[in-house]
Amino acid sequence: MPVTDETRPIEDSVPKINDELAVGSDLEFQQRWEKLETIIWFFLIIFLLLSLAGLFGRGPLAKVTAQAPDGSIRVDYERFERFSTPSVLTVRINPASIRNGQVQLWVSNSLVKPLGNQRVIPQPEKSELSQGGILYSFPASETSASIEFQMQPSAIGKSELKMRVPGNSELSLNVYVMP
Amino acid sequence: MSGVIRAVIGYYFLVFMMRIAGRRPGKQLTPVDFILVFFSGGLILTTTVGDDRSLVNALSQIVAICAAHYLLVVLRSRYPSFGRMVDGTPLVLLERGHWRHQVMRTMLIQDADVMASARDQGLENLEQIDYAVLERNGQISIITKESK
Repeated sequence: MPVTDETRPIEDSVPKINDELAVGSDLEFQQRWEKLETIIWFFLIIFLLLSLAGLFGRGPLAKVTAQAPDGSIRVDYERFERFSTPSVLTVRINPASIRNGQVQLWVSNSLVKPLGNQRVIPQPEKSELSQGGILYSFPASETSASIEFQMQPSAIGKSELKMRVPGNSELSLNVYVMP
Repeated sequence: MSGVIRAVIGYYFLVFMMRIAGRRPGKQLTPVDFILVFFSGGLILTTTVGDDRSLVNALSQIVAICAAHYLLVVLRSRYPSFGRMVDGTPLVLLERGHWRHQVMRTMLIQDADVMASARDQGLENLEQIDYAVLERNGQISIITKESK
């Protein structure tokens, strides 16, 4: 049995210009689109400026310093992190928290997951699981101590990071990881 | 985020940005326009691949992008209004010896671009053109006075 294809007669379905050239131009749509494009560019420029400012990480708005209420630790960190992008969180320990050449720092598990801690500098003398987090022990001089955590976030969204020197007040930080 | 989702977001974002950045693909591409296309493609590649260089990831992302593209094409063909948003409409640049300045300015097209297309058809000057139309694919169609 022969196969037949449906057909339809040709109509003037494409609008003409000057009644002679079938172009299908739609100037009204084009003018509306140009207005929309202007609005879209406005928002894209705002997005770019916010990005430069660091609202999406890696900029002045992202970098902040927080301090525990009793001043035992001060933390320099990025509140807006980027997914799978390296960053550094620095904890400065108040000399008063250093005892017998040693300092301890407890950090919540969120440092490892989702914030993806890769490396701790200096290498801790001891690290142990403790109260839903990790308790690090570092050798330290009596003057000052600074600890660096190199991170690479592995999950998108808000994370709460807590840390404290045992026996001192706790510092809670909110970190937002951008996609 | 899954590589497949990143690839689909990347594809639609590039479609969106290329639409916004101006219609100069196809024959009208100049070396400067090539930079936009290849640089954007390279940048989106870094995030879609991420640290997953496996064959499975590459195959999954190719299937995802093809599916995203197929969906776009189907919607474009079913709904003309959607098609207009994705591709725009043909625009008349030159009509019976007169430039349409407003269209030329907004589409970032110069007289020389029209003349380049005219030369492609063996024309020697602009006076021989009756109509010049910027097509949806970015090419400029030339209708000569003699051809009518």
